[in-house]
This record gives sequence, structure tokens and C-alpha cells, in this order.
Amino acid sequence: MSMFSDIFFGGLFQGSLYAMMAVGLALVWTTIGVFNFSHGVFMMLGAYFAWQLVAFGLPVVIAFPLAVIVMAGAGWILQASVVRPLIGRPNIVLVVVITTLAAGSLMENGALTVWGPRSKQLPSLIEGNTTIAGVGVSLHQIAIIVITPLILAALWSFLNRTRLGLALRAVAQNEDASQLVGLNVTALYGLAFAIAASLAGLAGIFMGGYRFMNPSMGADPLLKALIVVVFGGISSISGPIFAAYLIGFFEAASNYYFGLYWTPALLFLVLIATLMVRPEGIFASRSRGLA
Amino acid sequence: MTLLDTAIPSAPGRVTWNREAIGFVAGFLLLALLPLVFGDSYSRHVLIMIFIYAIVASNWDLSLGYGGVFNFGHLALFGIGVYAYSLLAKQAGIDPWIALVASGVIATVAAVLVTIPILRLKGIYIILVTFGFAQLVMQVIISQSDLTGGTQGLVRVPGLYLFDHNMIRDGKIGYFYIALTLLVLSTLFLRLFVRSRAGASIVALRDNEEYAISRGVSLVRQRMVTLAASAFFTGIAGAFYAAYQRNASIDVFGMSLATIILSMVLLGGTSTIYGAIIASFVLTVFSEAMADFGAWRLMISALLIIVIMLVYPSGLVGMIRAAWTMVAERIKVR
Repeated sequence: MSMFSDIFFGGLFQGSLYAMMAVGLALVWTTIGVFNFSHGVFMMLGAYFAWQLVAFGLPVVIAFPLAVIVMAGAGWILQASVVRPLIGRPNIVLVVVITTLAAGSLMENGALTVWGPRSKQLPSLIEGNTTIAGVGVSLHQIAIIVITPLILAALWSFLNRTRLGLALRAVAQNEDASQLVGLNVTALYGLAFAIAASLAGLAGIFMGGYRFMNPSMGADPLLKALIVVVFGGISSISGPIFAAYLIGFFEAASNYYFGLYWTPALLFLVLIATLMVRPEGIFASRSRGLA
Repeated sequence: MTLLDTAIPSAPGRVTWNREAIGFVAGFLLLALLPLVFGDSYSRHVLIMIFIYAIVASNWDLSLGYGGVFNFGHLALFGIGVYAYSLLAKQAGIDPWIALVASGVIATVAAVLVTIPILRLKGIYIILVTFGFAQLVMQVIISQSDLTGGTQGLVRVPGLYLFDHNMIRDGKIGYFYIALTLLVLSTLFLRLFVRSRAGASIVALRDNEEYAISRGVSLVRQRMVTLAASAFFTGIAGAFYAAYQRNASIDVFGMSLATIILSMVLLGGTSTIYGAIIASFVLTVFSEAMADFGAWRLMISALLIIVIMLVYPSGLVGMIRAAWTMVAERIKVR
């Protein structure tokens, strides 16, 4: 029984983190049609901002939300500086890859200069450990497993139930038409980036609570988020969420049966095989649009 | 239609073969004379690294710029060259020169294999799969640590030899000329390729896929040819890199090297071949000049890349062309 619950909790926990990251990537892709390669760096920045605010003496309840808000601003600024000026260029996908990579390197080395290479750790959301179904888990992990679906549900209802969310989906579906009906496309682009960055920042705060953080901590989660969006289909929000949990479970099971070394290779093999059979991802429809 | 049989007829605005050949010979003669000016082994080391980067970047320009295939696994082909050479020359004890050529062949085979999953894909999905391929290669190398040394890498990889010449002596002059020869061969091959009918057909596929296919260009074959052609010299450059550094490490699969080389391709201006070579000079010299700045060096480089991409979307070659047109206009007015 312990083996099953080990895999179950591990998968649920990793899946939550991947979902938070992947949703941001998918949001930016669907609305703007570019891929943000500094998404992992956003995650790191969120964790470091939160750490800095806690170090200033702010209580966790204020520091963490404040860091998330700061990240939204950072996302907006990145969009305005390295993405918006390129919109309309024929090779925008490629150029944005390089500008966001460069911006990511800028921020990562900036963090290295400001905070130094030494590992840091954030306080947990909830202190303490517990045992469920024969597995020892920290309450921090339980909190993440519970909070993530709530946040994703909030995002889903924002995109489906509010005017602003609908506007965002309209831009994703048809940019010209949304401009014609008077939507401020530029502002909505900024909004997409801001939401994505704050979700990444929150994922960083979650991760900083149970693992040591360093300026390059975002690289691996970005890679996993990339796999998740390819796997789940990049053209929707729900696809990557399902795929994130699926991949979380896959990884947990593969770690258990095949060991830590072979898991990434297996994961990529599965990814390439998936794309050969279903290039648009397993949960996706062929259209580009948020749902 | 074979690969390089008929040249495309000249067109207005197209540089003729003769003029390009003159520029080619003059440019590389200049490079061949550089050791007369730079005698110390440090600046020669920088030049050798520039030549390696230039080969990798200009070959990437073939698939990325001309072919329009967003192959983000290009550095994996370089890495395959590094490891193929190291394994063949060190673990199997094969003659270094044979291992060098074999590495190019192995990288080409690997490129053909990657092409299979991306044949049905477009744009961003190609980025993701090729990216995944690069990670896959890296993970396989790490997990086979008995043979490849895993994350530790391999040391004491055999170097190249030229008769009885001691390669370390005389400021690495031997390695300098081998690297330059490889760059000349690679550039010659790339320019011949892109000016051939095959080159024209891959550009046609990039610019208007449906029309090109309807005119009888095979997407499957040309995409495979493009990637295979861009892989051969990349693999050889990887093998040379391993022979020159005398070691192999998984750092070659890292994001930082990929970012540097990609910025060379884009900074130079895509679909030029020469642009990538010029940009590898500019970026490497720039980055070496700022060696004392530590973390600031990477930040300044990143900022520079962003600014150039925002201001000159067509890269350094675009910048040079704009300047040249301005000068030409001035002369005409007079």
C-alpha cells in the first residue's frame, strides 16, 4: 500500500507545480502566439522576491501575496520591453525565443549578483509533518496539493466568467476581430504575461518552501513545463493541467520502478512518440483558443 | 534533379559567382594571415574557438535560416560529434582523423533520425521536439556513465596529429590551421548548397510550403537533406572541439552554449551564412574583452543581444547592408 500512496502523493505534488508553470506558458502562447523562455526565471524571481520580503521582516501572509503582485509587474515589464516591440515581425516566434532567453539570462545573472550563489530557503506555508496512508508527508506539500487546484479553478472561472477573461480569450481566438470590437489588444497581451509571471512566481514560492533555492532553480521546471504543454496540447488551458498531473504521476511511477536516472530519458521518449502520433497534443483540439 | 547539378541562373540583385569567390578567397586569406599578427597562444586560442563557433552557427543558419526549420537540437548534433569522437578515439582507440570524419557521419545519421518525428510538425512544435531530442541525447549520455563518464565527462581524449609536429608548440599553430581549414570547407559547402537548386527549393518550402509542394518539391526529402547537410560539419566541429580541448563534458548540451550560438545566428542575420560567421567573431571577441566583469559580462551580452534584435531585426549583415547602401547613395549623389 505504501508504494501506491508514495507514487500517488509524489505525482499529485509534482503535478501541482507543473500545472502552475505550464498554465502560464500556455496562456502566453494562446494569447500572443509566442513562447516565453524566461518563464523558469520568473519562477526563481518570485521565490527570491518572497525571500527578500520575509528577510525585511514582513509576515508570510503579506510577503507571499506581495511577491506575487510584484511578479505580475515584472511580467508586464518583460512583455512591454522584449515582446511587444516585435509584434508584427514575420519571424516573431524565433526572435522572441532569443529575446526572452536573453532577458532570462539577464535576470538570472542579476539575481546572482544581488543575492549571491548561496542556497536559500523560504518558510513553509504550514509547518509540520503528518502521515497519510502510511506515507510521511509535510503539511507544506499537502497545502500545495490543496491550493493549486483552487487557484487553477479561479483562473478557469476568470477566463470563462468575467468580461476581462472573455476578452483575453477573444484575443486568443481572433486578434483582428477583437481589435475591431474595441478591445485593447496591447493591454491584454500585458495582462496575459502578468498572469503567467505571477503564477510562475507562486510556483517558485511553493518550491522555495521545501527545497533550497538558487538563481538557476527555474531551468528544470521550465523544461518540465515545456513537456507538459506539448503533451497536453498548447492550445488550451485545461489540456496542460491534465497533462501536468499525468506527467507528475508518470514521473513518480517511473522514479519508483526505473530509478531517477532513466526517468527524464523515458519522459522525452514518450513525448517524442506522442508528437509523432498526435502532433497537437493528447488533450487538444486543433484550434488555437483558450478553454 | 541531383543535389548540386545545375546552378540557378543569375538574377538582379544576386551577387555573381565570380564576385562572391573573390570575396571568399580574400576574406579567408586574411584569416590565414592572422597568426602573423597574433603570435601568443591565448589570442590563437580565442581564434580557434571563434572558428568552431562559426562552423556550428553557420551550419545552424542552414536549417534555421534557409530551411526555416526551428531545429533547437542543433547543439545536440555538436554534442554528438564531441562524444562520438571521444568514444571512438579514446574508448575504441581508432585513429583520431578517422574518428573525426566518422563523428561527422554519425551526427548526420542522428539528424536524419530527428527529422522523422518532425516531418508532420510545424513551428513551435518543431522547437519543442528538437529541444526534447537534445535533452534525450544528454540523458542517455549521463545514464551510460560507464562508457561516457556521465556528468563527470571524459578526460584525456586523444588530440589530433599532423606528421611529427607537436600540436601544443608554436602557439597552437597546427590546431589554428586545422580549424581554419574546417571553416573554409564548411563555408564552401554551405554556400554551394544554398546557391544550388536544392538550396532554392528549401527556401521555397520555407516561404510558401503549399506552393513549393505543388511545384513538385518533396517536403520530406528536402527537410531531411537540410538537416543532414547542416549536421555533417557540426558533428566534425564537435569532434574537433573534443580533440582540441582534450575532454568531453555534457556542458555542450547546456542552455548557455545554445543561447550563445543561437544569438550568433540571429545577430549575424539569418539566411546569409556569412552573417553567422561575422557574428561569432564579434560576440566572442566582445565576450573575451569583458572577461574581467564576471557576472556583468553575461548581463551586458544579454542586453546587447536584446537591443540589436529590437533595432536591427535582420542582424549585423542587415546593419552592414544599411551602412553600405547609405555610402553608395552618397557616392551616387556626387
